[in-house]
Amino acid sequence: MDFRTALSLALPFGLALAAIGSGIGLGKAVAAAMEAMGRQPEAAGKIQTGMIIGAALIEALTIYALVAFFILQGRIQ
Amino acid sequence: MTRLFHSIWVPLATVASSGDGHEPAASSGAPELPNIITILSGYFPGQTWAQFLHHWENVIYAFIVAIGLSLLCFFATRRATMLPGRLQNLLEMAVEGLDNFIGGILGPHGRRFTPFLGTLFLYIWCMNLFGLIPGMMSPTGGKNGINTTIALAVCVFFYVQYAGIRHMGVWGYIDHMMGTPRSVIQWVLVPLNLPIHLIGELAKPMSLSLRLFGNITGEDVLLAAFVMLGISATAFLHVPVGLPLHLPFIFLALLTGTIQALVFTLLSTVYFSMMLSEHEGH
Repeated sequence: MDFRTALSLALPFGLALAAIGSGIGLGKAVAAAMEAMGRQPEAAGKIQTGMIIGAALIEALTIYALVAFFILQGRIQ
Repeated sequence: MTRLFHSIWVPLATVASSGDGHEPAASSGAPELPNIITILSGYFPGQTWAQFLHHWENVIYAFIVAIGLSLLCFFATRRATMLPGRLQNLLEMAVEGLDNFIGGILGPHGRRFTPFLGTLFLYIWCMNLFGLIPGMMSPTGGKNGINTTIALAVCVFFYVQYAGIRHMGVWGYIDHMMGTPRSVIQWVLVPLNLPIHLIGELAKPMSLSLRLFGNITGEDVLLAAFVMLGISATAFLHVPVGLPLHLPFIFLALLTGTIQALVFTLLSTVYFSMMLSEHEGH
């Protein structure tokens, strides 16, 4: 198996693993935000802002995996 | 006419395409929507000015966005009145919203950073949304978009360090980097704390730039992939139109463009507050 086959097999799996991780993390974060909003509806604006920012930070780790995917995908040829 | 046709559709080359060989810029393989400069460089292959424009396309689009924003602000503040017209009112709403947002994090003394951080937000927001205009490309996305985002992150990094040094003095800054050792145990831990803080400070602009670049490039690649899908859906008709399958992803790109601009600005504000929080109450 040469490196092209290995990369083509491994890259989507790596990206999928990163996506699983961020899916779990985002699910927990948004669930906590929803619960907090349900407890105190008048603070919903601030909670929503914090949730969006936390979601972007958690998503960033998956984006790092995507960037690595782009870089390595160019080297398959 | 076929040369123009090819110069528009060929830049959508991917690894899996039939490989027309006109397109030298598909080296990374990720599909990208064509913009005016790539169309020009495909229509005049080998011309020096077309290749020059294509080489500097990020900078050209960033300049277009910057000049557009400057003209907007110039025309809004030309005859500033106490009862503002629509454009001035819109800009005043934006500036006041940003001022309150940044003042909420940095405190009333932090409002002097509002010009830098507010400009950062507006500029990154406009750059992200600029790629959705047909024929334009967002300077933060695409193959060389990492340059623009690294430039922005490096600006933030140097300004944060400079603000820290000016606020705390050089010795106070080094003290902050060592973790403000006050007891013997903390002095012993300085050789551990100092590299950790330094690497943490260096990791901040890296994460800022990679996050913004990855999000916007991912959105652009998603759009290009769905445009190609839409074109190949009606390919049997041999007409250069396709189904607009990428429409939901334009809305997603609007959302992520806004959110990423907000996250960049918010994280820069938080880095400022972390650097300046040391000697506030002393």
